[in-house]
Amino acid sequence: MKKASELNFGEKGTIKDIITLNPSYKRIIEIGFTPGQEIELVNTSIFNDPLTFSLRGTLIAIRKNQADCIIIN
Amino acid sequence: MSKTPLINLVGPPNSGKTTLFNIFSGKHFKTVNYPGSTVEYSSSDFLDKFNINAKILDSPGLISLNANSPDEEVAIESLFNQPNNGIPDLILVTADASQITRHLLLTKQLIEAGFKVILVLTMIDILNRKNLKVNTSLLSEILGIDVVAVNGRTEEGIDELTVKIKENLSKGKNIPDHNILSTFKDKDYLINTFEKIESISSKVIESVTPDIENANKQLNIQNPILRESTQKPDALTLKIDKYLLHKYFGFIFFLLMMGAIFTSIFWLAAPLMDLVDTLFSSLANYAAESLGNNWFSHLISDGIISGTGAVLIFLPQILILFLILGLLEDTGYLARGATLIDKPLSMIGLNGKSFVPMLSGFACAIPAILSTRTIPNRRERFLTIFIIPLMSCSARLPVYVLIIAYLTPPDKPWLAGFFLSFVYLISIILSVVVAFVINKFNKSLIKTQDDSSFILELPTYKLPKLKVVLRNSYENSKEYILRAGPIILVLSLLIWFLTYMPNHSPEFDKTGMTEEEIILLEKSERISNSYAAKIGIFIEPIMNPLGMDWRVGVSLIAAFAAREVFVSSMALIFKVTDDENIQNSLLTAMRDAKIESNGEPLFTTATSIGLIFFFIFALQCISTIAVSRKETGSWRIPILQLTIFTSTAYLFTFLIVNVLRMIGIN
Repeated sequence: MKKASELNFGEKGTIKDIITLNPSYKRIIEIGFTPGQEIELVNTSIFNDPLTFSLRGTLIAIRKNQADCIIIN
Repeated sequence: MSKTPLINLVGPPNSGKTTLFNIFSGKHFKTVNYPGSTVEYSSSDFLDKFNINAKILDSPGLISLNANSPDEEVAIESLFNQPNNGIPDLILVTADASQITRHLLLTKQLIEAGFKVILVLTMIDILNRKNLKVNTSLLSEILGIDVVAVNGRTEEGIDELTVKIKENLSKGKNIPDHNILSTFKDKDYLINTFEKIESISSKVIESVTPDIENANKQLNIQNPILRESTQKPDALTLKIDKYLLHKYFGFIFFLLMMGAIFTSIFWLAAPLMDLVDTLFSSLANYAAESLGNNWFSHLISDGIISGTGAVLIFLPQILILFLILGLLEDTGYLARGATLIDKPLSMIGLNGKSFVPMLSGFACAIPAILSTRTIPNRRERFLTIFIIPLMSCSARLPVYVLIIAYLTPPDKPWLAGFFLSFVYLISIILSVVVAFVINKFNKSLIKTQDDSSFILELPTYKLPKLKVVLRNSYENSKEYILRAGPIILVLSLLIWFLTYMPNHSPEFDKTGMTEEEIILLEKSERISNSYAAKIGIFIEPIMNPLGMDWRVGVSLIAAFAAREVFVSSMALIFKVTDDENIQNSLLTAMRDAKIESNGEPLFTTATSIGLIFFFIFALQCISTIAVSRKETGSWRIPILQLTIFTSTAYLFTFLIVNVLRMIGIN
């Protein structure tokens, strides 16, 4: 079991589940991180946080602790 | 009596909602707060040409009907019952066609809640560039509501939308079901809804070249390319981000960019500020000369004209700041900047989105506080507002320049430059420390608990629309003048009154003096016997421990109108009589100034450095207090800011002056 926060730069993964680890997990789903979607980590800033993912044809930056909710296949 | 129908415009952020509002309202709208909150909405009538008898409201951007913050809660609740207007007759929901799988969530929820809805699809042109389009009639059939595609730039589709709005309004209104909101919070519901939306979008998104589409359909191919191309971010954007969001270069570029903005606020604006300054001083001189030497003439020239000048002198900086920030925002870079700086700011309880307001604070705290509205999290927004007055705004610059000029030898300008950078550095470090401390005591000071999060869509890079940017700079500058202008002006008049009365026509021996000398001596006689002087003498016991006397005290009080007034007030009190070069003669006067009670020099190295620290900390700006009150919705935060910052300023100055003295620097 791998989290989206553990993806390497440029690595792709398909979302398996969103877990209720962070209070903002609902917003994570609402913004489009849903099971079955392919995401790619396109940027890690100098501080390694936030992480920018490519998702549903757009780029979305979320904090590392929020990316912990996203479980990758 | 039938009420004017109400149309509420809602949509996710970046879905073209405001563009649509501007088209219908012709930008003639007023902005109102929801009762008892700091959340704002805009309301307007439709322009006559649309011939729609209804009111249109633009509420804050919403991702879903599931509130994620107290402010979203206000916006969502008011959809169900608009405090001033009741239930909306119709909801126009915008969705970015190129982001349809993400943006349809809100539309679905609005329909499920029982609202009467028209879906407005925007950004069709972006989808077209990918050789795709939306089959709006099919989408309309599936959703069971009217769907109209609109191009915000060419206004294509607006006519069709107008017709649909009229049709929908004539059908009476629906009563939405508030209870359904709780089901929207369910994780399985959300995931299910997304699955439905995906199946809808795969049906309605079609290739622009129908032949291939039909051929595929006949061959029963589930168009994989079609799916693929809606799922890929803009290629050029990804390419640019390889550099601008590069792990190391990205951050270096960001720092260079912000350094450039910071310096341009000062260097680009300097000549314009000089122009405003010269314009208003010559206007004041002209008024004084033509009206004669009497109180009315002085009220007009020194009170009203100089007061207006004090408001307008910061306009160039504010314009330039908003122009640059607007350009950066419109290109799509600003969201990336917020992402790059989020981590360090989150460590002191702030947010990446706090950065731009903090940067604006170096020009003027008022537009800076107004721009914190982009921070969705209330705690982080209030904390940002809290520390903004610590950013050394440009009103403090003339004071620093004067004192640093006093402390450094004139033949070494580099030393003064070094000293000034040091002052800015200190003010940045101190604000970080203060934010850290305030954040630690968040529960008792800010009193708002709000889960911190950072979710930001990085928009596609595009060329900025100069018209939009110019318009926004104009709007922001107007807002500054309207909000801060009256306060600064009234205070300038009050300070004028306090420094002019009661000894308005002083008597002294005028033999052998030129008319100019008489006027200047009258001015300084007036101020030394004025109400302000009496207040100054009253607060002298407070100033003494700082090694300063009533004259500095009066200037500090006068600085509450606007900090740079400190310099002109000092010039008056120290009877500086050379109009040609105020700074040099003021410096000489400061060197000769003695504390009246003991004859010791007033401006020593210790007291001057102390004074700089006083200005770094003290919240001496009534306009900031007023705007902070407005934006935080209560007196709590502005009063805390005033007491904490001003008492810290006093304490710091006291410590610095006395420690410096103890170690022999005097």
